[in-house]
Amino acid sequence: MTQNSAAAPAVRPLTGRTGRRRHNAWTVRLCAAILVLVVAVAVLAPWITPYDPYLADFGSLWLPPSPDHWLGTDQLGRDMLSRLIAGARQTMLGAIALLALATVVGVTVGITAAWQRGWVDAVLGRVTDVMFAFPGLLFVILVIAVFDSGTGTAVVGMALAYAPAIARFTRAVALDELARPYIASYRLQGAGGLVICVRYLLPNMVSTLLGYLVVLFGEGLMSLAALNFIGFGAQPPSADWGLMVAEARNGVIQGYLGPALVPGLTIAVVVVATNVVGLHLSDKLAVRK
Amino acid sequence: MTDALVVSGLTKTYRGAGRGPRVVAVDGISFTLAAGGSLGVVGESGSGKTTLAQMIVGLAEPDSGTVVIDGRDRRDLRRGRRARLQRATEAQMVFQDPYGSLDRRLDVAGALADTLRRHGTPKDRIARDVAALMDRVGLASRLANSRPHELSGGQRQRVAIAKALAIDPTVLVLDEAVSALDVSVQAQILTLLDEIRAESGVALVFVSHDLAVVGQVTDQILVMYRGRAVETGDTDQVLRRPEHPYTEMLLSSAPGPRWQPERVAELRAALAAAT
Repeated sequence: MTQNSAAAPAVRPLTGRTGRRRHNAWTVRLCAAILVLVVAVAVLAPWITPYDPYLADFGSLWLPPSPDHWLGTDQLGRDMLSRLIAGARQTMLGAIALLALATVVGVTVGITAAWQRGWVDAVLGRVTDVMFAFPGLLFVILVIAVFDSGTGTAVVGMALAYAPAIARFTRAVALDELARPYIASYRLQGAGGLVICVRYLLPNMVSTLLGYLVVLFGEGLMSLAALNFIGFGAQPPSADWGLMVAEARNGVIQGYLGPALVPGLTIAVVVVATNVVGLHLSDKLAVRK
Repeated sequence: MTDALVVSGLTKTYRGAGRGPRVVAVDGISFTLAAGGSLGVVGESGSGKTTLAQMIVGLAEPDSGTVVIDGRDRRDLRRGRRARLQRATEAQMVFQDPYGSLDRRLDVAGALADTLRRHGTPKDRIARDVAALMDRVGLASRLANSRPHELSGGQRQRVAIAKALAIDPTVLVLDEAVSALDVSVQAQILTLLDEIRAESGVALVFVSHDLAVVGQVTDQILVMYRGRAVETGDTDQVLRRPEHPYTEMLLSSAPGPRWQPERVAELRAALAAAT
């Protein structure tokens, strides 16, 4: 648990010798706008879907886009736009839950390791290393095999798969921060370890962690979609994006590209947007330091 | 007058790099310091003075020897909040790096209020005490809402001193506390320390490589060389008539009107031959 390979993309501050940012301002703004739009849609989903996203209509299967159905209909005649909107809520909620859980576990482990040092650090480091040896998706499939498929299991399993990376990154940042004299000064004042870690250390690390976590959010969203695609996560008739791609893939052979392509592209766009915004955040915060 | 600080036989060794030999950082240092007294600890880089400072305040564990403040052994194994707060009132420290020793999220008033609150100042008195502390260390009240990055080095050290004073410790250890400041600011901080010592009766341990600075602010001096105390005594006397060759070399090392680099090299060679 010495260096953080997983952390590398998030902390590498600049590219090129000129010190320019990786992305120009308009790319970042566009990506931020996309994220804001997706979040807004996810929040408002129950009120803005034009049709019931779960209502099958066997008289109108595989309809192409039209004024009635802007994005057409799928293999069960359900309105694609409504399903995409409802899916935004499901997909974002899943990714947020995944990231929140992974962050709580990872940050707790990372800070504990950095604060305690010694054997606690060594044990946590070995556990993290073992977790790293497993490909994340494989680990989740194992978890699902033992428990049960479903969104909850998928989210918890994925969170556990992501926690080690966060723990490593957090530990590295925390060690750096703990070496500063202001922490020694709090100890001399008689503040307890828990108070120092939670009230002083953690807030001072937030800015460094934030960019990294935003990038991980995109990655987590994609992993969840992949898991849903192969059928281990959300189950039909859920409108999750990954599952929508899976369910509509038979149509691709019959020439109906839309129902699989639309959610697939949406996933890609959202993941790229979170990556750009996340890297931009880490760049900015790294430069300020 | 009772002794505020009694250090006896303090020793600390560090494991060398890799399989290298153990490094004796501090080797059997003993001294006493009266309440309201001030002691300068001088030596070159690597002489062990920072390790000594850290052992006095409790940031480093001595291998052997004791630190007794106000008659209480610092190697006290009691745990818990009350024990920690009690230990805090015995010794506080001001660090060398004026930026890193302040929490960058807290403004001046916030940092002082936080310290006061930790040590049980009632809510309704905090604002008044913060203002009093800022006044005492010479910080203008308009700086109350400034964060560390908005302050100069001297101002930051004043905040660090105010934080220490908020706890009203028996012993205040200053580890190269003015080394990062320019000379005019150094002088202001030294004057401030003199005033504070006279007012509050806090005992100062002033660790520095700079003999001129130590001469200005301390009554007693302890010269460290390779972890040992090679010379102790009244500051005036030691600085005017150094007895140990190392002290003499330190004195002649400081650049000044009568600085002779060749003489320093000579003394250093003689010292190396002797030890």
